[in-house]
Amino acid sequence: MALEGLRILDFTRLGFGAQATLICGCLGAEVIRVESTRFPDAIRVMPPFVPEPGERGEAFGAATLANATGASSPNRGGIFYKYNTGGKRSITVDARHPKGLQLLKDLVAHSDVVTESFAAGTLDRWGLSYEVMREIRPDIVYVSMCGFGHVGPDTAHVTMGPTAQALTGLTFMVGLPDRPPAGWSFSYLDHVGGYLGAVGILTGVIHRGRTGQGQHIDVSQLEPATALSGALLLDAMLNDRPSRRPGFPTGNRRAHPPCAPSGAYRARGDDKWVVVSCRTEEQWKALVGVMGNPPWVADPRFATVAARVEHADELDEHVEAWTSERDRYEVMALLQGSGVPAGAVQDAADRLERDPQLAARGHYTMLGNAEVDPLPLEGVPFRMSATPPHTGGALHRGPPCLGEDNDTVLGEVLGMGAAELGALEAEGALS
Amino acid sequence: MTATGAAPGQQGPGAAVTAALDGIRVLELTDESAEYCGRLLAGLGADVVKVEPPEGSPSRHIGPFLDDEPGPDRSLAFWADNVGKRSAVVPHDTGVLELCGVADVLVHTLRPGEAEARGLDFASLHGGNPRLVVCAVTPFGQDGPWADYLADDLVLMALGGSMAACGYGPGPEGVYDTPPLACHGDQAWRTASTYAAIAVLGALAWRYRSGEGQFLDVSAHECSASMTEWHLMTYLCSGGVHRRGPHPTLTAADGRQVAALNPDFLGPHVFAGMLEMLEAEGVAGPLSDPAFADPVHRAANYREVWRALKRLAEKHDGETLYELGQGAGLPWGVIRSPEEVLADRHLRARGHFVELEHPELGRSVTYPGAPFLAHGSPWVARRRPPLLGEHTAQVRDEWLAP
Repeated sequence: MALEGLRILDFTRLGFGAQATLICGCLGAEVIRVESTRFPDAIRVMPPFVPEPGERGEAFGAATLANATGASSPNRGGIFYKYNTGGKRSITVDARHPKGLQLLKDLVAHSDVVTESFAAGTLDRWGLSYEVMREIRPDIVYVSMCGFGHVGPDTAHVTMGPTAQALTGLTFMVGLPDRPPAGWSFSYLDHVGGYLGAVGILTGVIHRGRTGQGQHIDVSQLEPATALSGALLLDAMLNDRPSRRPGFPTGNRRAHPPCAPSGAYRARGDDKWVVVSCRTEEQWKALVGVMGNPPWVADPRFATVAARVEHADELDEHVEAWTSERDRYEVMALLQGSGVPAGAVQDAADRLERDPQLAARGHYTMLGNAEVDPLPLEGVPFRMSATPPHTGGALHRGPPCLGEDNDTVLGEVLGMGAAELGALEAEGALS
Repeated sequence: MTATGAAPGQQGPGAAVTAALDGIRVLELTDESAEYCGRLLAGLGADVVKVEPPEGSPSRHIGPFLDDEPGPDRSLAFWADNVGKRSAVVPHDTGVLELCGVADVLVHTLRPGEAEARGLDFASLHGGNPRLVVCAVTPFGQDGPWADYLADDLVLMALGGSMAACGYGPGPEGVYDTPPLACHGDQAWRTASTYAAIAVLGALAWRYRSGEGQFLDVSAHECSASMTEWHLMTYLCSGGVHRRGPHPTLTAADGRQVAALNPDFLGPHVFAGMLEMLEAEGVAGPLSDPAFADPVHRAANYREVWRALKRLAEKHDGETLYELGQGAGLPWGVIRSPEEVLADRHLRARGHFVELEHPELGRSVTYPGAPFLAHGSPWVARRRPPLLGEHTAQVRDEWLAP
């Protein structure tokens, strides 16, 4: 595997940071998650919970982080399973116990990378600042991932995905004309931030390989987002066309390149939709053919791209009259069969149960652990011919139960025996 | 600030530190769908050469254009994703093959089968240059029942799942009367491009140890399908699916919206900080009743909390409201348009935005810079997007010199 032999001491929590180490784990890195029984990753006890076999789980949305501490186990929080594939291992160490802190320092000495996603300054307070780590291991690659990063006037700000999405323009860019922004209902930037966290880890590792030098890479959740607005930012700055203007954002319509019909259209069923997007004249003609050459297409209002864009509202009504009588997947198959870009609007259930492409590509891997029966989980969505990634990491295993690798990791990495481990456990350092 | 005097995000002139991909040659044969990958690799220090046909890459002909005047060197869509690259016009695939022989990485967006037809398939390229990493970014990957299907960003946002969870909530009758929405800015392509960059970096890390190149198959659909946070787990755990609807927002006195997540989400202790701020602002009202210290009471009477927040919002403009919330430990964010982000003091202090000279226009242009601060291997932002064919001779001389 691509990162075989790379050891990451991983203090990340929740989504953003864990996404980064998930990727590295799927590429073969050995990822050692450090938590403690007193302060496990909150994501372990957040609903929805993975149900016991044969049960239906609790609905999402009712409970919050604040009242979720009543979870029966630190191993049933559903979202933990989204972000902790990659064969991560789990150990529990109390950093406030002097021997616990020493254990962590010993692990740093044997690690290539340290990752964390605490508020800025947390590791310093533990006595495990970058300076301390660098003394232990001069070429350590330290990748911090927190909302506003570790440098700058607003590092104390609190962010979650939706906060960062609001601040960086991503919320603004989702909406219908002349209505407040609709935004994303989930934390897109937890993923994007995590992807750039993975880029950061790989950058540090490659740079160290070439120069022998470690470094601190400071990843925030804001910077990975600023380039995501693409040409909109330049258009606003250079063409005196502020994005905060009447009629913008334009829902699903895109001005560049001009194309119509293009958008989400109602399909048969309750709130079912299909996207149709004609980007060329050829595709428009193919769409007309699939629709059976209805008489309305002869209208001069629909004769050219420019005319269709100008009369997009009327055009959309016609197209939707056709799609709304059909199943969304039927529309997709008919149009794709004729060379017209189209796709059903899919939710998670659709992706799992009705998407033949994801199934054929082996997108999901069945993985579980001692407490949870195997579930179809996701890893990295690409293939590598010489070093195939695995959703279960180098060990081909599921997300770890809290502390399940204490003995293995401390035995393998630090050479500790049962007696020593038992003593540390009894003293409360290993808990 | 670094010793060179450059802001922390930039590599100043004469900086002694080496960029991570310094000396790595990347050949880019892509349409607009994967240009963001090369932008990231260029920022990490790679020499990214965009191979273009004489009329230019397709993205050069996509608007908006500078001053709304079309032209291959005026596309802002092209500018946004091609910062830091060089451009070589290579009219024939024999020329591409020649460059592949001396490159480290080839990123392309050829359709499945097209690479073989053009003699640019991995087997042929690998034969000529065993160290070459080839990364193919396609809508659906190299195989599978949808491999030959067509997609633009909108189609991928639909199939991948983010669209189903973006848009307005149901009307008063409980019926969704507006469509699912996709974010502007080609997010599905950007996700695929970012994963492509990760795959390339992973392959390079492997190549340093093995000496071997390999083939990377990036399916944009799979990339989109895996970026919807807890949606899959919600379905697996409860059988429920997420529908669309905005997060709660407060409307400030200037009409700006502020995303104002329920603070209790972070734990009950956050309420104390919020209450102190609302009292100082004179809008706490009934929240000062000690009963509100109890999270259960608060949850049952959340309407009162929200009313107090609305009273606060009426007093301040959006940016101030954001600062007040953050000052009280609340995860609030003012909703900004892309260009409003430029004024953010924090990003400015981190040296995030870079000014690049466009000498042929006699002006400089501001671009987003480093996606993170790598203190030992800085981001490289030296070159504005290339003019069509600007470096054809230079690249030939440097890469193919005998």
